[in-house]
Amino acid sequence: MVDLSQYLPILIFLVIALGLSTLFVFLPMATARLTGVYNPTAEKLSEYECGFPAFEDARSQFDVKFYLVAISFIIFDLEAAFLFPWAVSLGVTGWVGWTGMMIFLGILAIGLAYEWKIGALDWD
Amino acid sequence: MNFATSLMLIGAELGLCLVALVLLLLSAWLPRAAARVLTIAAASALAGASIYTLALLLNGTAGPDANAFGALLRLDAFSAVAKLLIYLSTFACLVVTPSFFERRGQYRGEYPVLLLFNAVGMSLLVSATDLMTLYIGLELSSLSSYILASFARSDMRSAEAGLKYFILGGLASGILLYGMSLVYGFAGSTNFDAIRTALAGELGTGALFGIVLVFAGLAFKISAVPFHMWTPDVYDGAPTPVTTFFAGAPKIAAVAILTRLSFSAFGEQFAAWQQIVAFVALASIVVGALGAIGQENLKRVLAYSSINNVGFLLIGLATGTAAGVSAMLIYLAIYAVMTLGSFVALLMLHDADGVPMETFGSIAGLAQRKPALAWALLVLMFSLAGIPPLFGFYAKLVVFQAAVDAGLIALATVGIAASVIGAFYYIKFVKVMFFDARPSSDARAEVARNPAGHWSVLAASTVLLSPLGFLLTPAMERWAAAAASALFLTA
Amino acid sequence: MIGIEHYVVVSAILFVLGVLGIFLNRKNVIVILMAIELILLAVNINLVGFSAFLGDLTGQIFAMFVLTVAAAEAAIGLAILVIYYRGRGTIAIDDVDRLKD
Repeated sequence: MVDLSQYLPILIFLVIALGLSTLFVFLPMATARLTGVYNPTAEKLSEYECGFPAFEDARSQFDVKFYLVAISFIIFDLEAAFLFPWAVSLGVTGWVGWTGMMIFLGILAIGLAYEWKIGALDWD
Repeated sequence: MNFATSLMLIGAELGLCLVALVLLLLSAWLPRAAARVLTIAAASALAGASIYTLALLLNGTAGPDANAFGALLRLDAFSAVAKLLIYLSTFACLVVTPSFFERRGQYRGEYPVLLLFNAVGMSLLVSATDLMTLYIGLELSSLSSYILASFARSDMRSAEAGLKYFILGGLASGILLYGMSLVYGFAGSTNFDAIRTALAGELGTGALFGIVLVFAGLAFKISAVPFHMWTPDVYDGAPTPVTTFFAGAPKIAAVAILTRLSFSAFGEQFAAWQQIVAFVALASIVVGALGAIGQENLKRVLAYSSINNVGFLLIGLATGTAAGVSAMLIYLAIYAVMTLGSFVALLMLHDADGVPMETFGSIAGLAQRKPALAWALLVLMFSLAGIPPLFGFYAKLVVFQAAVDAGLIALATVGIAASVIGAFYYIKFVKVMFFDARPSSDARAEVARNPAGHWSVLAASTVLLSPLGFLLTPAMERWAAAAASALFLTA
Repeated sequence: MIGIEHYVVVSAILFVLGVLGIFLNRKNVIVILMAIELILLAVNINLVGFSAFLGDLTGQIFAMFVLTVAAAEAAIGLAILVIYYRGRGTIAIDDVDRLKD
C-alpha cells in the first residue's frame, strides 16, 4: 500500500502555488475595475513579448525569422549541457579541467561575437 | 599521460584551429573585399600544417609513443600520410576557389574558415583510435561540408545539393552511430584496441549487427555502392570548387578511417567484413563504370568516376594484408591528384561571362580552341582510365597485384573487366575534344582566360600523372609501406 | 524486472521508426529532420543503457557528445532549409527535384 502521507509537502506546495497564481491574475484585474482605470485599447490587448497572435489557425505559416532564432538557441542551449558534469567533477579534474572548459567557452564566445557582428541577432 | 607530448603531437591541428578562429573573427570585421587575404592566410596555415606533419612523419614516432591524450588519438605514420594528402588537396582547392565565386560576387571570408575547420575534422578523423574521437572528427568535417555544398546561397541548385547532402549525411551518421553504440555495448569499450581484444573469438549477433551498421555508415561517407545515390546529385548541384574539394580530401579521410577501423578495431573479425568490403568494391566498380555511360553533364560523369575509383580503393582493403593497405594508399594518393586535376580543368571551362561549360556538347572541338587545356585533360582522362604509359596505370597495377597476391583472383578479374568498360567514357572525353566539330562559332562559346593559380595546379597534376610520375614510385612505396605497417603494429 | 534487453528493443524500434520516417515520408523536409533526431535518440538510449549495464561511464560521456553534435546538426539543417525556402518558397519533398539524372 502506498503511503500517501509522504506526498503531503507536494499537496501543500500545489495549494500555495495555485492560490498565489490566482491572486496574481485576478488581483490586478479587480484593482483596475474597482479604481476605474479599466480602459482597454487595441494596443494594450495585443500580445506581449510572444511574437504572433495566440488565437488563430495553428497550421498557418509563420515568419522564417523564428527559425533563425531557434538555430541560435539550439546551439547555445545544448552546449551548456557540458557545464553540468564539468561543474560537479571540477574537484577531480582540477586546473586541467578548468582550462579545458575555459577554452571551450572561449570558442563559443568567438562564435557569439561573430554572430553578433554579422547581424544574425537583429530582428529586422 | 603527458600533456606536453600530446599537445606536441597534435600541433598541426591546434595551429589550424587557432588560425581558423582568428580568421572567423576577421571575416566578420573586415570588409568583404578582404576575403582573398583571408584565403591566403588559410592556405599558408595549411602549408605550415603539412610541414609540421611531414616533420612528425620523418621523426618516425610509432607504437604507443604516438598515442595522444590517453589513446584517444594516434599520430602514427598512417595518420601522417593521410593528413599530408588531406592538407595538400585542401590547399590546392583553396588556390582555385576565389576566382570562381568572385565572378558571381559570392565570395566571402567564411569559405576558407569552413575549409580549415573541415581539415581539422578530417585530421582528427584519420588519427582517431576511439569511437568518440572518430565521431567528433567525422561530424566536424561533415557539418562544414553541408554548409560548403550550399555556399552559393542564391543558386537554387546549390541549396538543393546542400539539403540532399545534409539529409543523407545525417542518415549516414545516424546509422554509423547506432552501429557504434552496439559495438560499445557488446565490446564494453570505445577504444579500438580494447574492442579488438573484446571481440576476439566467436562473434555474437549484436556485435555483428554493430559492425555491419558501422561499415554501412562509412560506405555512405565514401559514396560506395549501394549508398552512392546522393553523389551525382550533390556533385552536380554544389559549386564546382566545392565539388573539387568533396571528391578529394573528405574521401581520403573516410577511406583512411575505414581502413584504420577495420584493422585496429575489427581486425579479429576479418572474415566477417571481408565479404562486405569485397561486395561493395565490386558493386562500386560496376555501377561507377555503367552509370557514367549516357550522362551528358561532365560533373555527373566525374561523380560516377569517383564511385568507380572508390571500388578500386576498397579492393586494397579487401585483401586484408599490409601489402594491400600499402597499395590502397598509393592508389589514394594518385586518385587525389587525378580527381583534383580533372575538376580543376572543369573549373577552367567557362565563357567570358563566367557561365560554366559542363556538358559534352560544350567541349566539342576544344583541342582547336584551347590546345593546352585539351592536352592536359587527355593526360588526366587516360590516367583515370589506367592506360599504360601514364601514372594512373601504376595505381591500378599495384592494387590488382595486391589482390592477386592475397588470392582474390576473381575480384581482380572483374575489376580489370570493369575498368575496360569504364575506359569508354574517359575516351569519350578525348574523342569529343579532339575529333568532334566545334559548335556554332560565336564569341560566347569561347573559353575565357584563367588565372595563373588554376594553370599551376593543372600543370602540377598533369606532370605528376605523366610518365615522369614513375620517378616518385620509390618514395611513395616506402611511405605507403611505413604507413601500412603502422596499422599492423598493434596486430 | 527491466533488463538491458528492454532498452535495446526500445532503441531498435526507435531506430527503425526513424529510418522509415526518412524513406516513407513524402510531405515535408522538417519531418525528415525529426526522423534524424529520432535515430540519434535511439543511439542515446542504447549508449546510456549499455553504460548502466556495463557500469562504465564512457557511454554516458558519448551520449553527451551525441546530444550536442545533434544540436549543431539540427541547427545547420534548419539553416540550409531556410536558404532553400527563401529561394523556392516551399519545403515539400516532391519539389526537391531540380537535380536529376
